Amino acid sequence: MELYNLSGYELSRMLKDKKISSVELTESVFSRIDSVEDKIEAYVTLDKENALNKAKEVDDKRAEGKELSKLAGIPIGIKDNISTKGLLTTCSSKMLSNYVPPFNATVMDKLDSMDIVVTGKLNMDEFAMGSSTETSYFKKTKNPFDTTRIPGGSSGGSAAAVSAGEAVMALGSDTGGSIRQPASYCGVVGLKPTYGSVSRFGLVAFASSLDQIGPIGKSVKDTAMLFDAICGYDEKDATSADISHKSCLSNLKADVKGLKIGVPKEYFSKGIDDKVKASVLDAVKLFEENGAEVKEVSLPSTDYALNAYYIISSAEASSNLARYDGVKYGYRAKDYDGLIEMYEKTRSEGFGDEVKRRIMLGTFVLSSGFYDAYYKKAKLLQRRISSEFSDVFSDVDILCAPTVPTTAFKIGENIGDPIKMYATDVCTVTINIAGLPAMSIPCGYDGNGLPIGIQLIADKFNEQTLFNTAECYENLVGGFKSPNL
Amino acid sequence: MVEGYEVVIGLETHAELNTESKIYCSCKNQFGLEVNTQVCPVCMGMPGALPTLNEKVVDYAIKMGHALNCTINPVCKQDRKNYFYPDLPKAYQISQAEVPLCQNGYVDIYVDGEEKRIGITRIHIEEDAGKLLHSDKFSGSLVDLNRCGVPLIEIVSEPDMRSSSEAKAYLETLKSILQYLGICDCKMQEGSIRCDVNVSVHKPGEPFGTRSEMKNVNSFSAAVRGIDYEVNRQIEILKAGGKVEQETRRWDDQKGISVSMRSKEDAQDYRYFPEPDLLTIVVDKERIDALKAEIPELPNKKLIRYIKEYGLSLKEATAISENVDKAGFFDECVNNSNVSPKSVCNWLLGDIAKYENANNISVRDTLLTPSKLVELIKIIDSGKISNAAGKTVFDIIITKDESISDIIESKSLAQISDASALESIADEVLSQNEKSVNDYKNGKTNALGFLVGQCMKASKGKANPSIMKEIIVKKLSE
Amino acid sequence: MNIDIKHIAKLSRLHIEEEKQEKFESDMQKIVDMVENLPDIEDAPLLDESNPMTLRKDVAVTGKFTRDELTKNAPHVTAGCLVVPKTVE
Repeated sequence: MELYNLSGYELSRMLKDKKISSVELTESVFSRIDSVEDKIEAYVTLDKENALNKAKEVDDKRAEGKELSKLAGIPIGIKDNISTKGLLTTCSSKMLSNYVPPFNATVMDKLDSMDIVVTGKLNMDEFAMGSSTETSYFKKTKNPFDTTRIPGGSSGGSAAAVSAGEAVMALGSDTGGSIRQPASYCGVVGLKPTYGSVSRFGLVAFASSLDQIGPIGKSVKDTAMLFDAICGYDEKDATSADISHKSCLSNLKADVKGLKIGVPKEYFSKGIDDKVKASVLDAVKLFEENGAEVKEVSLPSTDYALNAYYIISSAEASSNLARYDGVKYGYRAKDYDGLIEMYEKTRSEGFGDEVKRRIMLGTFVLSSGFYDAYYKKAKLLQRRISSEFSDVFSDVDILCAPTVPTTAFKIGENIGDPIKMYATDVCTVTINIAGLPAMSIPCGYDGNGLPIGIQLIADKFNEQTLFNTAECYENLVGGFKSPNL
Repeated sequence: MVEGYEVVIGLETHAELNTESKIYCSCKNQFGLEVNTQVCPVCMGMPGALPTLNEKVVDYAIKMGHALNCTINPVCKQDRKNYFYPDLPKAYQISQAEVPLCQNGYVDIYVDGEEKRIGITRIHIEEDAGKLLHSDKFSGSLVDLNRCGVPLIEIVSEPDMRSSSEAKAYLETLKSILQYLGICDCKMQEGSIRCDVNVSVHKPGEPFGTRSEMKNVNSFSAAVRGIDYEVNRQIEILKAGGKVEQETRRWDDQKGISVSMRSKEDAQDYRYFPEPDLLTIVVDKERIDALKAEIPELPNKKLIRYIKEYGLSLKEATAISENVDKAGFFDECVNNSNVSPKSVCNWLLGDIAKYENANNISVRDTLLTPSKLVELIKIIDSGKISNAAGKTVFDIIITKDESISDIIESKSLAQISDASALESIADEVLSQNEKSVNDYKNGKTNALGFLVGQCMKASKGKANPSIMKEIIVKKLSE
Repeated sequence: MNIDIKHIAKLSRLHIEEEKQEKFESDMQKIVDMVENLPDIEDAPLLDESNPMTLRKDVAVTGKFTRDELTKNAPHVTAGCLVVPKTVE
């Protein structure tokens, strides 16, 4: 087995035991990149030289006998909306195509202090708005299981890179499913943490009240290891939760005996592919066979969640993206007459169509005369959705649902139809609206050999329950299966 | 009332708070530094940077809320006000819309010899914007973001003022309160207090007229000029049978005119919504009460008390009440003693103020205590020393901790009130100034002053002047 | 509800090219038609008392960044200032 195909957890042990060096591992990953990146196009920016220098530095530290973190020397890819000091951070937009942040995101400061090796910056939908990574200004990332298909989005580059062995693990961000949906499509594990458990400082904002950074890995243990590294209170993020986090990896218990599992009926209604439904219910049955109690539950407001999501996220986006005006950083139009024209040309040339649609939708729902009927109503619905989840979690420990209604679709299949594209988020957005943690893990394949994901959802700050349940499932059915590339 | 019209004025006053750091980041909050050197990713609106709220800003705003008799909302939030402008790097200002920190208050002002109560609609916290710099030599505009994120409170009044002099008194009162609380530097030339003025006019008995909002009012005197201009402009329109437009106007103080910025139709749609990067502000009752306990008697209350109880003039009462140290010193002197408040006032605004200005310190930084000043005033009132000798004593006790009686003794400052001693001085002076004596006897009464002065001189200033005068008058009439 | 694309584009400081206008309008209208389907819900202020914010101590920190670091991404800088077309309100 090639090093790039091993899980981060295994590699961490091999590095610790000095069976391999970080330089060997990093070279293995970059040689994999050399051979498959043309097909996958997961990266916006590769940072090979710094990666190899860092790997060497870590090997030297290890040789000196220094105490190192579990992640030391492991090559990790970073979604291109997470600020990396001195390294391009484009959000896959023409608007930020030349933007080099003068500061690190808090998660990058944490990972740097743990001596990870950054491979480069991963492709995404422009400003994380999209479900296929097709709205990237630079390139269209392909699904490693079928390169005629999309990898999902917006963290499509992150999921595809991990799946294809172009990074051992990756960071993504999830506003309405942007970690879980591509993880599901690419057959890897992805966690959207509880809102407030990972600092957003330095994450280029799409929808501030919904965005969370999270890990993508080949295994449940990898994801737990990376989550442990990035979570925690940050005084620079006022929305970060001031609570103590215990290590999810150290406390991992692969057991579902006595676990109360809820199956929310609204997540299995129309629009869900039969094969997806069957695979998810098979997984639920397996949990039941292993000692879990299963019951059907109801979350009645689920049907409206997608609408509330698009209103709230677009409203925040319209405001968050107003700062891109060609004055302080990023793209500025060439010819203009006066300030207003500079603004309009810069923004019209710098943003793609999907971003423009979201900005305009957001502007509309906040504009005079429409605020109460759209934005305010959506925010009030958000409360109702949260309280429905609270009620359910007083009764069950975890919920099981599909991550996405179908498996990965063809490149170009939905890009002309925003409504169809938005509908792929129907199972994931509600979780962001409620601020809950949720995880997607592979649970089988469809007739075309495309991965299917099951979504596990827990109550706030209960990531441990997700990891325990997922680890149990992974142990029962076997771990990551690489695509044939 | 102006020529058969009533004037209605409401003010929105912005005051910069003098915290150490900015409202949403830890950049230094200081005026006048090199362009773009007091900025960071947060106040520059860099992608991914996030705001954190400075607790002092909340405390200061609550104090102002207490001072203006407001209800303090223990639970409130911040909202984004969205608009594009180069001095606003995020393209939104973090402010408060739906629920302000303080609301429903009032402030009493003193104008034209009357007390008047002005309603306060609300006080909210928000961030200041940067500055655009223009130069004739340069075709574009330059942006300096140092002021971005300087904390502001916006104090919104009810439309309760009826003249520009009321508006001015209101602004002066706010300024003195801000200074009293020590939360604003109140440097007008640095723009630390600015206001927007809403003005309308109507005929008595009719409903309020259409108002115009005037921006760019950068001093209190400009507010007076701007209001008077706007009142006349609106009355002229109405007299000519026209209609006042609801619009935003810009005051040009140099030209002394206001010009239209935008009409109601072009009114900006700010698309306020709750700031998602910040959670709810929750202030517990203990903190709200503790901040209230820190509020001293306020200058506008003192002002009215000094005029009504002590008979000080408006000017004197203002000068003492607006300065927290002077007012405290004054109150200590006047309470628990029977010296005349007027004497204390004269010392505070005379010799003490002179000393303060010359040395650029406050009376509280000198060795003079209220009890010593009271002792000095009492000794002068008793006639034991002259006013002139009193000043000599004052010059010593303001810098040295010496007892007044020791000083009087060691400098032999006591007045001569003994009649036989004074009579022998008078005899000597009268014999040496026959011409003046004759002048007086021929009806030139001002010769008396000269003669008394000569006696004072002969006594080296120690003669009690009133007794001295009595003796001379008696001798001249013999 | 009908969406006035021209007005919203102006508020957003965006310009939609002539040839894209029609498709844009119809897509936007479909999206608005989709999202406006929300249940009736009782009005209340948007305040969440259950989740109070930790405030920052008032301490100034200087020298975190140089002016050059912070302005190096700007398209046009002169004398330490960002440059925009002449703007006088």
